[in-house]
Amino acid sequence: MGEFKVHRVRFFNYVPSGIRCVAYNNQSNRLAVSRTDGTVEIYNLSANYFQEKFFPGHESRATEALCWAAGQRLFSAGLNGEIIEYDLQALNIKYAVDAFGGPIWSMTASPSGSQLLVGCEDGSVKLFQITPDKIQFERNFDRQKSRILSLSWHPSGTHIAAGSIDYITVFDVKSGSTIHKMTVDRQYMGASKRKCIVWGVVFLSDGTVISVDSAGKVQFWDSATGTLVKNHLISNADVLSIAVADHEDSFVVGTAEGTVFHFQLVPVTSNSSEKQWVRTKPFQHHTHDVRAVAHSPTALISGGTDTHLVIRPLMEKIEVKNYDAALRKITFPHRRLISCSKRRQLLLFQFAHHLELWRLGSTVATGKNGDTLPLSKNADHLLHLKTKGPENIICSCISPCGSWIAYSTASRFFLCRLNYDQDNISLKRVSKMPAFLHSALHILFSEDSAKLFVASNQGSLHVMQLLEGSFKHLHTFQPPSGGNLVTGHRESLGGHIWQMKTLELHCTVPAYNFPVTALAIAPNTNNLVLAHSDQQVFEYSIPDKQYTEWSRTIQKQGFHQVWLQRDTPITHISFHPKRPMHILLHDAYMFCIIDKSLPLLFLDLLDEKTLVAVERPLDDIIAQLPPPIKKKKFGT
Amino acid sequence: MVQLRPRASRAPASAEAMVDESQPASEEEAEHGLLLGQPSSGAAAEPLEEDEEGEDDFDDEAPEELTFASAQAEAREEERRVRETVRRDKTLLKEKRKRREELFIEQKKRKLLPDTILEKLTTASQTSIKKSPAKLKEVNLQKKNEECEKGSDSKKVKVQKVQSVSQNKSYVALRLKDQDLRDSRQQAAQAFIHNSLYGPGTNRTTVNKFMSLANKRLPVKKAAAQFLNNAWGTQKKQNAKKFKRRWVIRKMKTPR
Repeated sequence: MGEFKVHRVRFFNYVPSGIRCVAYNNQSNRLAVSRTDGTVEIYNLSANYFQEKFFPGHESRATEALCWAAGQRLFSAGLNGEIIEYDLQALNIKYAVDAFGGPIWSMTASPSGSQLLVGCEDGSVKLFQITPDKIQFERNFDRQKSRILSLSWHPSGTHIAAGSIDYITVFDVKSGSTIHKMTVDRQYMGASKRKCIVWGVVFLSDGTVISVDSAGKVQFWDSATGTLVKNHLISNADVLSIAVADHEDSFVVGTAEGTVFHFQLVPVTSNSSEKQWVRTKPFQHHTHDVRAVAHSPTALISGGTDTHLVIRPLMEKIEVKNYDAALRKITFPHRRLISCSKRRQLLLFQFAHHLELWRLGSTVATGKNGDTLPLSKNADHLLHLKTKGPENIICSCISPCGSWIAYSTASRFFLCRLNYDQDNISLKRVSKMPAFLHSALHILFSEDSAKLFVASNQGSLHVMQLLEGSFKHLHTFQPPSGGNLVTGHRESLGGHIWQMKTLELHCTVPAYNFPVTALAIAPNTNNLVLAHSDQQVFEYSIPDKQYTEWSRTIQKQGFHQVWLQRDTPITHISFHPKRPMHILLHDAYMFCIIDKSLPLLFLDLLDEKTLVAVERPLDDIIAQLPPPIKKKKFGT
Repeated sequence: MVQLRPRASRAPASAEAMVDESQPASEEEAEHGLLLGQPSSGAAAEPLEEDEEGEDDFDDEAPEELTFASAQAEAREEERRVRETVRRDKTLLKEKRKRREELFIEQKKRKLLPDTILEKLTTASQTSIKKSPAKLKEVNLQKKNEECEKGSDSKKVKVQKVQSVSQNKSYVALRLKDQDLRDSRQQAAQAFIHNSLYGPGTNRTTVNKFMSLANKRLPVKKAAAQFLNNAWGTQKKQNAKKFKRRWVIRKMKTPR
């Protein structure tokens, strides 16, 4: 099987940012998630919950609301007062429109999808018309006294409920005037000095308005008369979010204690036609505030300050009870944040605003399997490279020889040259980037470190030649279909392979339904190994332009049940230089070696997350999160 | 008939009149009181100012005789004098105030730009805009212009291109006040959210306590997740380190 010395690296202090908003798109079964640092990620729920696209964050963008509108368009609004539309094809921001109402707290799209409503800091509710290429301001509704924190349209599009501080207003859309103003009690059956903030409202088609507020209550209001119908006190802390299903027979709320409650409309007695809302299930999957929830036809989705995205399929909605019906917890990003230089034993860590370069420690001791060897030389923090400007870093890479570092933000591309002498290291930035090199989705160095491959978000792949002091542009590949070509992770349905020496299109890998999560080319045999999000692994021989024998036999036999039931996607593939029959793979929880000569796989399980042996214990992440709600436990 | 003895009601008034010389108002009042008091006592000429010692004096001096007319004339004189002083005081105050006003106007004038530049700005047929070359946000500007044209209710936007106000340089000016306003509003919004979720009145605990709760309930109780507080007494520790170093050096120096 082979012996390895495993470097267990624990000094990567990566803390993911908390989830702020979640928006579910029914037509394409996709989930858009926005985080507190401004990153927006898109998950494909049908492709095994794979994160297929992401938009990098920005310091000034504090998103507070996210919504899908007609035609698969994604909008977000934040505290900087702007409404941003995202271009899902080009993976950048289409435009940003200032709403002139101060910070925007909430946003919702009309049921028809052609209008957009925003609630602002100054108490105004603004209506925008969605035109094919932009949005246009239409009119204002009656201005309220305090900030509008939540909005909801009636399914017919005639009325709107807006939640503010201490009251809820119902507007008529045509005239823009208020019909009812319902005052919310500050505390359940009592008075309190703290104002009651209505964090979420939902408008049902029978005229009921459901509101959740900071006193921990879920209240049902009748919008025709403007009165309170039912009051549920479910928590001591704030109830922060609410989402209702399309059929309006169930909704889900998230609290600040980390609990998610499921409410359902059930008949009063077993054969009566009268129904009432009953709190059915509590789920405690989070440790911190749950700030966003969404309700898909079959699952409850929640995300919060503890950075986990939890997807809980509902048992009664699922027809086939297979592994799909289990809980999914997505903690770590599905993209690579670490790159390694093998020759010099360096690791490059990518954070939101800086890069860190570390040299691995070494040991001279030897031992048996499972021993922890003492370090003779500790790991060295060599470099701390900060980016200028408010944008987050999208991708970064270090060349295998260790002398080039390349990274890119949303608008600029940086390349630096490292010089080593004795134990010192000096960095020199290569200025004068070519004009077409704005931002890259992926960066890859060739094996001999002479070429740099940059995949830009316009869909083209640039090849640069790296020389001693400078670099020059060699070639640009344009994908013929115009799809999104990303080196290292082929996202579109067809992958193209180019021959490096002759620089022309060599062959095309046949398309597959599920997106590719990882791919790598074996150095000796020149085979391309692809791993897809549904846990299938293919091997493709490049010189022969067809699938290899091994791959065909594996497909005939099918993978083992246990293998297919893993829930996290394979993030990295690499090869052992001396053993061409071995493929090393890993995902969030497991590291395994596939031996092609054996009929089955060999699994080597390690408990924490390993990223080329970099571990990130979950406790460390929790230690750096904002404070949670106090829970009183008996006996403490 | 001349009355030898002063009337009780009048004596205090006259004493006051003689004592408070400095208060013309009260004197006036006193005079008026005295004058008013006179008709009731009859038209006879009565001495206004009588010697206080008149009672105790056993001299056989006859009190002075004053006619009513002369007394009246004197009273009028007094009144006139009082009025004069009041008027003088008022005019003095007025002058003082005028001088102060002028001083302020002077100072204000000095603070403003010299007239030449102001003229230039007004004749350039643009509204006067505060120049801020440091903040040139072009993209922001274009959007604001668009919004202006659309006619949405935006009161703060007043951005226009200033054409060659000075030395053939054309640049775009942006009101600093708008950017500050926007930043301050964003900060206020963030402060609001922080306060409502983590501020006073919310039931928040520290991460250490949260993670140690499980340890406390185990059958064999364990310590908290972060038991040591390494940040305690940093100054003391630093002082101790310095002292130790100095002490060791001193020990080395003295040969013993």
